[in-house]
Amino acid sequence: MIAGNIGGRILAYALLGACFGMPRAYGQSAAQPKASAALAGPNNTAIAPPGVVAIVGGKLLTITHGTIENGVVVLENGKITAVGPATATKVPKGAQVYNAKGMTVYPGLFDAETQLGLVEVEADQDSTDLVEKSDEIFPQMRVVDAFHAETVRIPVERINGVTNAIVAPASEDSVAGQDALIQLYGKDRNAMILSPDIALAMNFEGDLRRRGSTPGGRKFPSTRMGLASQLRQTFLDTQNYMAEKAAEAKPDFKGTPTKKDLKFEALIPYLKGEKPVVFGAYEGYEVEVAMGIAQEFHLKVILNHVTHSQNVLDTIASYKVPVIVGSIYDAPQANERYDAIFSLPAELQKRGVKIALSSLSDGPSADSRNLPYAAGYAVAYGLPYDEAMKAITLNPAEMFGVGDQLGSLDVGKVANVVVANGDPLDVRTSVQQVFIGGVAIPMTSRQTQLRDQYLPLTQKAK
Amino acid sequence: MSSSSFNNLKGLQVGLLLSVLAIPSGLPAQTPAAPADFVIKNATVMTASHGTIERGSVWVHQGKIAGAGAAVSAPADAAVIDGTGKFLTPGIIDPHSHSALSNDINEATSPVTPSMMMIDAFDNMDSALYRALAGGVTTELLLHGSANVIGGQAVVIKNKFGLSRDQMLFPGAPRSIKFASGENPKRVYGERNELPSTRMGNFDVMRQSFEDAKAYMASWDAYNAKLAKNDKDAVAPKRDLKLEALADILRGKLLVQIHCYRADEFLTEEAIAREYGYKIRAFHHALEMYKVGDQIAPTGTAIATFADWWGYKDEAWDAIPWNATMSMREGVRVALKSDSNDYIRRLNQEAGKMIHYGGASEEEALQMITLNPAWIIGVDDRVGSIDVGKDADLVLWNVNPLTTYARAEKVFIDGELFFDSSLPGFGTTQFHGVMHSSGFDGADDEDGDGL
Repeated sequence: MIAGNIGGRILAYALLGACFGMPRAYGQSAAQPKASAALAGPNNTAIAPPGVVAIVGGKLLTITHGTIENGVVVLENGKITAVGPATATKVPKGAQVYNAKGMTVYPGLFDAETQLGLVEVEADQDSTDLVEKSDEIFPQMRVVDAFHAETVRIPVERINGVTNAIVAPASEDSVAGQDALIQLYGKDRNAMILSPDIALAMNFEGDLRRRGSTPGGRKFPSTRMGLASQLRQTFLDTQNYMAEKAAEAKPDFKGTPTKKDLKFEALIPYLKGEKPVVFGAYEGYEVEVAMGIAQEFHLKVILNHVTHSQNVLDTIASYKVPVIVGSIYDAPQANERYDAIFSLPAELQKRGVKIALSSLSDGPSADSRNLPYAAGYAVAYGLPYDEAMKAITLNPAEMFGVGDQLGSLDVGKVANVVVANGDPLDVRTSVQQVFIGGVAIPMTSRQTQLRDQYLPLTQKAK
Repeated sequence: MSSSSFNNLKGLQVGLLLSVLAIPSGLPAQTPAAPADFVIKNATVMTASHGTIERGSVWVHQGKIAGAGAAVSAPADAAVIDGTGKFLTPGIIDPHSHSALSNDINEATSPVTPSMMMIDAFDNMDSALYRALAGGVTTELLLHGSANVIGGQAVVIKNKFGLSRDQMLFPGAPRSIKFASGENPKRVYGERNELPSTRMGNFDVMRQSFEDAKAYMASWDAYNAKLAKNDKDAVAPKRDLKLEALADILRGKLLVQIHCYRADEFLTEEAIAREYGYKIRAFHHALEMYKVGDQIAPTGTAIATFADWWGYKDEAWDAIPWNATMSMREGVRVALKSDSNDYIRRLNQEAGKMIHYGGASEEEALQMITLNPAWIIGVDDRVGSIDVGKDADLVLWNVNPLTTYARAEKVFIDGELFFDSSLPGFGTTQFHGVMHSSGFDGADDEDGDGL
């Protein structure tokens, strides 16, 4: 359990921006795009006035307190204000009623690692801001500084039920930068960034030894020893910097103050254990090295990937840290059984590890909209259904310290709710309506627009 | 192996295990004797050609489907596999894979390389084949990559993982050749300041190649005419593998499989095909077919597309996940394909998405990964549906294969069990030893492997 004392930071941007979760009445959604241009935000959004929405008659997957057949969820001022069986839950007077009879209603999905807003066309360098590669240690890089709220990709992903995501830099550095937590709907960047700098993206893996293979020179670090040593030295230097700054803060300090160093400054909250580091490693022995460093410096760790760590699962469980698993679609090693990774979420959960899944499976083009199917695939390979739902809702919310705000159908949580015509983890299911911050979002994207543009043409041609 | 060991499924597994234990590790297994009759009973049989048979049976005789229905007239001593609660489908067919080619996907040293034979790079021990088999894939078209305007000739395999290279070839399958248009050839050669560096260049290279082929054919026609007249001065033209392959395209001897994304390029490709008198079998990727499906449907050209992969490059920017169903409704024959060692393991799930994106029926969705890719490869008279007389390439699933929760439990090819998830180890019946890995994810142009 990692949810801790960072909740106070959460939603800082949003609250400052005073527009997070601004709800509007269902029925005035931009699905019927009457909103004037002045009301439409750049990210295909129209912000309607606040109102009360009651989602009535659906099967509620609450995540925290079981399934409620024929339930009611009330959304008010961007929050969930009531959840319960229809027989015992009052629909407020004047509420817009969304009839969810025969539907499944569940909390918005939380994708534990994405590159949303950092990449548009993957092959087009000009449209990507994935990671700084001139060095290995870049804690001062903040993805919020590149986050492109108006990306075409976000509407594509959110209409399949993903309402929140961690945006992380690509994994090519030992310390790649700081992640942000976003809401996938909002008027602009400030409305969509719920928490900047929510975690530090770290990695320990062989691919990072790139300097060793750069043509024209072998530069440090070219080995895993080099990578580990560089990380440890960085943390030691930061501790030294902290000590110097502490000394300078004393009234009797005489001498020249140390220059402010953004790299060290960025690392301080992580060395203090105030915020989590998402530490990526694939092989069992790499996980053990990474955790050795993390423990030495008392980092608060969320492990990432552990894809080829089947040999140390008990050790991983003994760390008592949460794990973002996979991608489960990564290829097993040659001569491993075909399902060695498909079954990894189940194997970790069985050992008491809190797990989350992320959509980041095929590089930057990975689709958050397919996140629920990865969870379903984990079910096919042994993960209990309820745990799979948690792995894409409450668990990642708790890992990143926002379990009190997101990830379940509970009173007081942000009104991120999805209505679908069936099992959310099944590929055959269609999402009918997504509510984000209590707003019935337009169920459109550039892709639906293209579909609608060409559908009548082709029908006419027949 | 005696047929008595096939009296029940357990015996069948034990028999196979015993037979392979005798084989020295690392050597390919020998071809087993013709399998005995068996019947898969009481399964939900999704035929892919004529609907679903609830509580149906399928009888396999000498590697072929001998009966399928509510009841079958199999011999009394046929082994019985209980399919209660399970689903039976034809084997999945992938019309676009680069698996098991030793990472020799592209002979990217010239934009026209039609005499490259993919079989020359085929590594039958590659673990990607195994993982595809475990996903229910029984037939694959292994294609040249998309670096070249006219690439190489494909190899069609049955995924009999564990048998020898030649035993894995699909007997009698037609030859296919890979073309590529758009960004990949122009990037590969443009970066070297060579032709082609534009789409104009791509199509120019193509047209000139066919002009060269016509001249080559004419020189042979002239020679043969002289021979027919007993002309003693007749001199045979030099045989040229490249021109012979191009001539075979014009002669209609090769199925033309074209990597092509954009709507305008489908139309240009069809125009060039008409001009030089060949047919295009399928556009691969074809992410913009939804824009011009009405114009392509009458040509008979099929598509092999992704379910929902998009945005990896400019020509994939207008991709929409309704492409397959919209194109299908225009009358285009639609297949889904992997182009990836990952997706090939779960093509059934990709097909299931088509129910969500555009409301395909279960049979339409299933056809996209069975009968329709079989047609693209030119083997639909042999595989791709559960019909009497077809090869007994069958997959038994734990649940409906079009759901997220499906796992292939048993995979049969030509009536022989090649994968059984309940077996220990790999679950393979024929493979024992050490697999190879190309260290490659099987994606040609979508993953930055230099293309």
